[in-house]
Amino acid sequence: MDITGPRALSERDPDADLVARVGEQDPAAVRTLVSRKLPRLLALATRMLGDRMEAEDVAQEAFVRIWKQAPHWKEGEARFDTWIHRVALNLCYDRLRGRREDPVADLPDEADPQPMPDMQLEARVRDEHVRTALAALPVRQREALVLNYYQELSNIEAAALMGITVDALESLLARARRSLRAQLADSGFSKDLP
Amino acid sequence: MTPERFRTIVDAYGADPRRWPDEERAAAESWADLHRIEADAVLAESVSLDAWLADHTVAPPERELVERIVAAAPTRRPAKHRVRLWWQGAAYAGIGLAGGLAGAFAVSFFVLTGQPPQTHDSPSYLASSFDGSTADWSGE
Repeated sequence: MDITGPRALSERDPDADLVARVGEQDPAAVRTLVSRKLPRLLALATRMLGDRMEAEDVAQEAFVRIWKQAPHWKEGEARFDTWIHRVALNLCYDRLRGRREDPVADLPDEADPQPMPDMQLEARVRDEHVRTALAALPVRQREALVLNYYQELSNIEAAALMGITVDALESLLARARRSLRAQLADSGFSKDLP
Repeated sequence: MTPERFRTIVDAYGADPRRWPDEERAAAESWADLHRIEADAVLAESVSLDAWLADHTVAPPERELVERIVAAAPTRRPAKHRVRLWWQGAAYAGIGLAGGLAGAFAVSFFVLTGQPPQTHDSPSYLASSFDGSTADWSGE
């Protein structure tokens, strides 16, 4: 796990050179950027939306914007990784606003015709319950948790991205974790949770 | 570091010190070492939730999605094609230049001799323009 702390102002954007090459339409750079950023964007959107297909659409749209922006990208104003998180989050919010139903109600029961070993089945059930619990969180709490815990942005980066103070971020994170504990305890799958 | 701040950090970031804020990690760990029982009680509340959160994974992107995204990117043509195009352009330019020179030569020949260029069936085709008619320089 690579936990990044607050960056020094003099620290270079690790994506800057690659983005510059993408801006020059270098095919190899395009592939490298996709392999480096697509898993992150897809994970972010999947956890924010709770829907894989929608998350893939968001990732594709985010990359369309990346291709347009890359030739004009200037290092120093914002880290590229932070910018693409902002783009993806905005696309997620557009979709969340467009939903009428409670996102939790949309989560399908995934039937699997293949019998699974007990441990694999248990892991899948646990994963499904965490996914459901995440989707049931208020969106700002979910955003804080996803950015800080799963996307591994520092507290300062996550707070800046959300446009709030670090104190406010910590409050959202604490409430999210309390809520998750309560949901997982209620689910009956959390006998080891206090 | 105070007990209240230690609890706030664990409540927000979990029990794993690697996830704590960089600027407070050392102080929080020192406080926990000095107040082991109290710290362990706070940490125990978060350990299980951390494990649950870590269990939640997102499958990596499928190859088809990767290819769709790559295909949508504007990319320049590979260098090999550009080299071939460069040589094609040079060849076309050379042919055009040769044609131009041949035309210019024919015109100058006509102007100097007052006759259209000789064809190969003429016995004088081996002569230069200076071997032909002296009409243009008879005054010398």
